[in-house]
Amino acid sequence: MQRLSVWITRVLHRPVSALAERGLLLPSVVSAGLFFLLPLGLLLLYSFGSVNLLNYQVYFGWTFSNYTGILRSIYLGVMLRSLALSLGATLACLLIGFPVAHTIARARGRRQVVLLVMIMIPFWTSFIVRTYGIYNVISYKGPLDRLLNALGLLHGQLQSLLFQPAGIAIGIVYSYLPLMVLPIYVALERIEPNVLAAAADLGARPRRVLWRVVVPLAAPGIVAGCMLVGIPAAGEYTIPAILGGNKTLMYGNVVSDQFLALGNYPFGSAIAMTLTGLLLGVLLWLRSRAAKAEARTAR
Amino acid sequence: MRRRIPSLSGVITTVVMICLYAPIVTVVLFSVDRDPLLLHWTGFTLHWYHVALHDPGVHADLVTSVEAAVLSTVLSLAVAITAGLWSRQASGRAQRMFDVLTYSRIALPEVLVALGLFALLEKLGIPLGLWAIVVGHVVFNSAYATVIIQARFATLGKSLEHAAADLGASPWRVFRRVTMPLLRPAVLVAGLLAISFSFDDVVSSLFLGGTSVETIPVLLLGMIRLHVTPEVNAIGAGQMLITTVTFAMAGLITVLRPTGAGEMLGFGRRAAK
Repeated sequence: MQRLSVWITRVLHRPVSALAERGLLLPSVVSAGLFFLLPLGLLLLYSFGSVNLLNYQVYFGWTFSNYTGILRSIYLGVMLRSLALSLGATLACLLIGFPVAHTIARARGRRQVVLLVMIMIPFWTSFIVRTYGIYNVISYKGPLDRLLNALGLLHGQLQSLLFQPAGIAIGIVYSYLPLMVLPIYVALERIEPNVLAAAADLGARPRRVLWRVVVPLAAPGIVAGCMLVGIPAAGEYTIPAILGGNKTLMYGNVVSDQFLALGNYPFGSAIAMTLTGLLLGVLLWLRSRAAKAEARTAR
Repeated sequence: MRRRIPSLSGVITTVVMICLYAPIVTVVLFSVDRDPLLLHWTGFTLHWYHVALHDPGVHADLVTSVEAAVLSTVLSLAVAITAGLWSRQASGRAQRMFDVLTYSRIALPEVLVALGLFALLEKLGIPLGLWAIVVGHVVFNSAYATVIIQARFATLGKSLEHAAADLGASPWRVFRRVTMPLLRPAVLVAGLLAISFSFDDVVSSLFLGGTSVETIPVLLLGMIRLHVTPEVNAIGAGQMLITTVTFAMAGLITVLRPTGAGEMLGFGRRAAK
């Protein structure tokens, strides 16, 4: 009781400016609370609920059947394949992005600026139009089809890309490549040239310098790039919607189908929450790894 | 190292550059191709632009896109500027907690948040439409804007504002005449980014627009999925022009004026460091 009165006096005597400064937090807290935390909280609640599939009435409850249902459903394979696809696309992005970042980091002056801007410009153009551009390029009788046929590399039609996992992977790599290149470039740019010279003077061959010096020092950039690419890729909706046709679905499409097409909110919420948990887990794991790596280099 | 590796990575870089631009170039080329089946180049025409510009559906969607972009940008900037002012006096722990809330809005896939909002609005009986789209865009746009504006605040001291206050300016006057001018480049960049993110957004606009309200990207998605007509290329090229110009303006400001946004977008070498 006494503590309460102390608290009240303290609040009442707090200077107005302090209250006003706290009030500055209000727009952020209200908007994030209402538009971000509350919707996610509702999904979490729904994921333990149940639905009457005759009239689409959703009931709250405390059942794990939606989560166990995922394991038994035909969607499990789809979801696992989709996660493998995002992982593969992220690795492809890394394999392509690292040499590009390396080239940019080694370039000097105006050339470097030009290369950086050239990598960024496609990223500044419209996301959906770029994806549609890929659709154009890899479609039947599209430019790639004709080019490969003209070169004699392909006999007949290019059928294996559009509406297939490979097409989606191309779309993801294409759309997210700048997000892989930039952090790796920043990390490579920070490497002291003296360190490389020292390694070479001590007799390390170029390949050994690359694997034992450059790659470890670029590790924070590589991790950041993989996060920036892998996490949105796992929840990608638009790229599979365009390049996957209705044949190859990804996680984001499976979730939204449950809501928009099938009306099974609890099951859709359980799938959504599984993805959220998975991504948060990956984020936290990478963060702890990064913190450890930082501690190691600090020593 | 100086001779072998650059040649390989140089070749990869060249191929990547070609691949990056090929899809964009095809859209632009197809948009001025006379052949309605888009199989052969049969000559230059602006016919598809003409068709797109006189399509009432395109008109309505363009209006919706602009409205959503402007409204979500204004709201996001208000949220971000107040958050920036708050963070100047926040304790380290409060700031870290706040950062988690900000970055999680950027990190979580948009599909999840958009479906959550969809379910929430339905639960509360609030109809979908323009305002639902605006809210969906504010979730991520305010997070990006907050990161940019807080970064700018972190580089600003308080001495100018203290001086103004000592000289007798009221807090509101200090904010308007000292703080805002210092903040202007960052606000401009955050605003331009918010406009282009909103204008380019597919997922939130698709789920939250309901059956009657759609934006240009949603229209494009529908056209691409159902039937590809040459008009798509013209609308796409127009859409691309708008987002590229807003982005490029943001980039130019970042290079010319200090904003703290450079690292996030990788504009230029100086900004990236």
